[in-house]
Amino acid sequence: MGIPDPAPAVLLLGQILVNGVLLGGLYGLMALGMGLVWGVLNIVNLAHGSLIMLGGYCVYFLYTGAGIDPFAALPLAMAAMFCFGYALQRFLLSLIIRSAMLNTLLITFGLDVMLTFLAQLAFSADLRTINPPYAGDNFDVLGVTIPVAPLAAFAVAVLLAAALSAVLARTRTGRAIRATAQNLTAARLHGVNPRRIYALTFGAGAALAGAAGGLYGMVSQITPYVGVTLTAKSFVIAILGGLDRPLGVVVGGVALGVAEAATALYLDPTYTNVISFGLLVVLLVARPAQLFERA
Amino acid sequence: MTRRWLPVAVAAAALAAVPWLGSETLVQYGINAILLATLAQGWNIIGGFTGYPSFGNSVFYGLGTYGTAIAMAQYHLPFGVGLAVGAVLGAACAVVFGLPILRLRGPYFAIATLGLSAVMSAIIANVEIAGKNIGLILPLFRGDLLFYELSLGLLVLATATVAWVSRSRFGAGLVAIRENEDAAQVMGIDTTRWKVMALTLSAVFSALAGGIHAYWITFIDPASAFDSTLNVKMVIMTVFGGPGTVLGPVVGAFLLSAISEVLASNVSTVAGAFYGLVIVLAVVFIPRGLMDVSSGFRRMGWRYFADNVRRHRL
Amino acid sequence: MRRIPTLLLATAMSLPAPALAQNKAVTLGAALQLTGALANTGRYYRDGYQIAVDRINAKGGVAVNGTRRPLALRLLDNQSDVNLGVRQYVQLLSQDKVDFLLGPFSSNDALDDSSVAEKYQVPMVQGGGASGQIFARGYKYIFGTLPPAGDYFQSTVKMLKHLSPAPKTAALVSADDAFDVAVAKGTRKICAANGLEIVVDKQYPEHNAEFSSILSLIKSKDPDVILWSGHEPQALNFLRQAKTLGVSPRLMYSFTVGVPTADFRKALGKDAEYAFGMTPWLPSADLKDDWFGDGAAFAKEFQERFGYQPDYHAASAVADVETFAKAIEAAGTLDRAKVREAIARVDFRSIYGQVKFEQNGQISMPQTVVQIQDGQVVPIFGDDFAHKPRYPLPAWSKR
Repeated sequence: MGIPDPAPAVLLLGQILVNGVLLGGLYGLMALGMGLVWGVLNIVNLAHGSLIMLGGYCVYFLYTGAGIDPFAALPLAMAAMFCFGYALQRFLLSLIIRSAMLNTLLITFGLDVMLTFLAQLAFSADLRTINPPYAGDNFDVLGVTIPVAPLAAFAVAVLLAAALSAVLARTRTGRAIRATAQNLTAARLHGVNPRRIYALTFGAGAALAGAAGGLYGMVSQITPYVGVTLTAKSFVIAILGGLDRPLGVVVGGVALGVAEAATALYLDPTYTNVISFGLLVVLLVARPAQLFERA
Repeated sequence: MTRRWLPVAVAAAALAAVPWLGSETLVQYGINAILLATLAQGWNIIGGFTGYPSFGNSVFYGLGTYGTAIAMAQYHLPFGVGLAVGAVLGAACAVVFGLPILRLRGPYFAIATLGLSAVMSAIIANVEIAGKNIGLILPLFRGDLLFYELSLGLLVLATATVAWVSRSRFGAGLVAIRENEDAAQVMGIDTTRWKVMALTLSAVFSALAGGIHAYWITFIDPASAFDSTLNVKMVIMTVFGGPGTVLGPVVGAFLLSAISEVLASNVSTVAGAFYGLVIVLAVVFIPRGLMDVSSGFRRMGWRYFADNVRRHRL
Repeated sequence: MRRIPTLLLATAMSLPAPALAQNKAVTLGAALQLTGALANTGRYYRDGYQIAVDRINAKGGVAVNGTRRPLALRLLDNQSDVNLGVRQYVQLLSQDKVDFLLGPFSSNDALDDSSVAEKYQVPMVQGGGASGQIFARGYKYIFGTLPPAGDYFQSTVKMLKHLSPAPKTAALVSADDAFDVAVAKGTRKICAANGLEIVVDKQYPEHNAEFSSILSLIKSKDPDVILWSGHEPQALNFLRQAKTLGVSPRLMYSFTVGVPTADFRKALGKDAEYAFGMTPWLPSADLKDDWFGDGAAFAKEFQERFGYQPDYHAASAVADVETFAKAIEAAGTLDRAKVREAIARVDFRSIYGQVKFEQNGQISMPQTVVQIQDGQVVPIFGDDFAHKPRYPLPAWSKR
């Protein structure tokens, strides 16, 4: 090859960037559902991580039990999680939707506790991994290793974000969702059934969480307790990205992924949380204007 | 006025007598419940009265914990000094971070405080003198009686403070901020100053509770000191009991603690799930807290619960 | 096999021999991680304690001053919450009035809970905390059956010197909690003493899931050996991410956790091959025991009853219960101070190995180096080679 080897430091940086971007895409997907539900329904879903976890188990059992390839199992898991989310919103969350925002936080917290417990009861605390034969594959580009599974996860994340964006902008249902988010009364006047729209939206959020869970199981592992940290991460990214702007959320995820990877290398891995949450606080404090429109 | 406070004073005296009347286990649960009640009262000031739902009170609690622990374990200072150090740290944090963060409204304030707590925990995990992520070991003190009465004293102080707040101009101003901050500002209330004061007051109580807890339990680490589920518990207990009331947080804290401890000691494996269920049911049927139930019940009887649902659903 | 993890079932399952049934039981209490983040390992202790108690009762219980009395267990679920665990230990002592205490899993929990034992002056024998911190406070009532954290890699490094080609450089990756910091400290000394140069020395936050930066750094430094210390879920992530990023040390890697444990190997499948680890215990027929016969028989009985293979956590738990049995018989009384003295003096063989505590209350046991070969945990090196290691490590692409 005519291209000379780049200096080791540059290679390392390149690798870090690749790691950060690919992981960040998956983070973005995780946050997508939370941002959607928050932006449209004004529900801050503390059980979001549990939905990711349940989606992960769906794909795990479809793969190990029925032998379905994880990527093929994703749509199935998403459908299952959609139904679950729809029911959850329709029959439980709709009961408190007009009470103080704080109450949605609390009820979703309670839900999270219950879902985690039920998962432990049903699935035990064993570590589960979704390990298709190609999970460890990778290929080299200019000395930088590109892992296949995270790359595919990234692609899925971008795809789903683009799809969500398109649905919100171009379809009738999407416009109805956006209208409901902006002005419930006006939307009602135009014939929108808010019950259905809200349930649809929450279902969609759960479906996206489910997809993220399945992908997460491929790059990491699934236990009943993975939900909590994932909820926290999703918070940070949803806010970074602007809640119900799907592509913004994915970009936010990527930004966080790169920031964490860089911190781990150039500072120390023990500072990654300082950076991610510090970023969150700084952002919130420094740019309140953009967020006030939604308050 | 004396008539209203008499039952409260009797209850306080009864609580103070528990170490002699009750078992050791009860004292343990008592200390835990009382500290939680203090935390809930502290939260009540900023969350219940001022309407700023803080998810970062665990920061002040954690700083109180670490202030006391560092003073006692690293510098061998007495307990009282340790508590004071913790309180000062908590108050300082409230002022320094409160100013920028209190500019945010509603859920954004909540998220910012949550982020603050996480940042502080991560920072402490890297600080040498705090023992990094391994934590610190405090000297062992065999005297749960002291901890019990001290905690009770702190709770009484916190409740008395909240009672004073509820009757003062300060408190009225906080409520005005909660109901309509812009109008309050227009009426001449210095909202920033008062919000910071509320947060600081809240912080001091949280920090003192943290300091007592640290010495009682003799071992601290960042995860348990800055535990975010503790913050959620404070919020739930206050909301369950009645935010913006004087006794609500105490009642809520005691009741929920009792439920949780009874479950944990008897049916321990399903305790977690039941707790979650209790929370879900409470939010649906008594969203304005227990204190509201008695007056609501008097007005409407059993229909009170259904009415709550009707009012808040889609 | 589904087990309903309720206390009632557990108590019902401890069937004392008929003659014992009428004598008052000696109760051992513990607050364990039955649910929550550490439940995965907590269950080894629950099942280990249970099988030991049942086995001892089946063989006539414990002789206290002429009367044979059965053992009983009182277990609570601390939901992996350290603070709840402390309160539960106080409850066990003051409300449930247990006679003696068994320990939880994890050094952090053991650190906190042992303070209760010390405060109330009730002996606690725990098999879940290895950090030296637990035993450095001058407490008299805490004993531990896990060997010191700082020595974990001792036998591994010793073994490396006998292998060809001998490694020269190492990467040390450790978590930042009490146990792993102690391991890292000790390992640095061991490496220095044995001429192994540490070229990467990184600490990561305990529950961190992301190792890509550390792995990329390791790749750029190309060490011969990776010495890894942390919790099981993180070990899993590290290995999987190492594979996806194509990172492999030149000669071998060793983990302080995971390797001896069944669900770790299952979750990784083929990717677990070649990994080295260590364990203070193996299910060997050479480990004779007064109650179970030997280590192999114990492992078989455990597997049949609970449906999964025991590892050193379970064996350590059994050793804890047996320690109490021996100490109570030696003391001839249930007086706590006397039993405490007896525990400090025990020296007996068990399915876990020789149980004897050092001055500070911690057991001293060598770690056996093990390796995963064809999905099995194979003992490789104790004082010398028991089996041939698969060495050096082939690159990921060549497996």
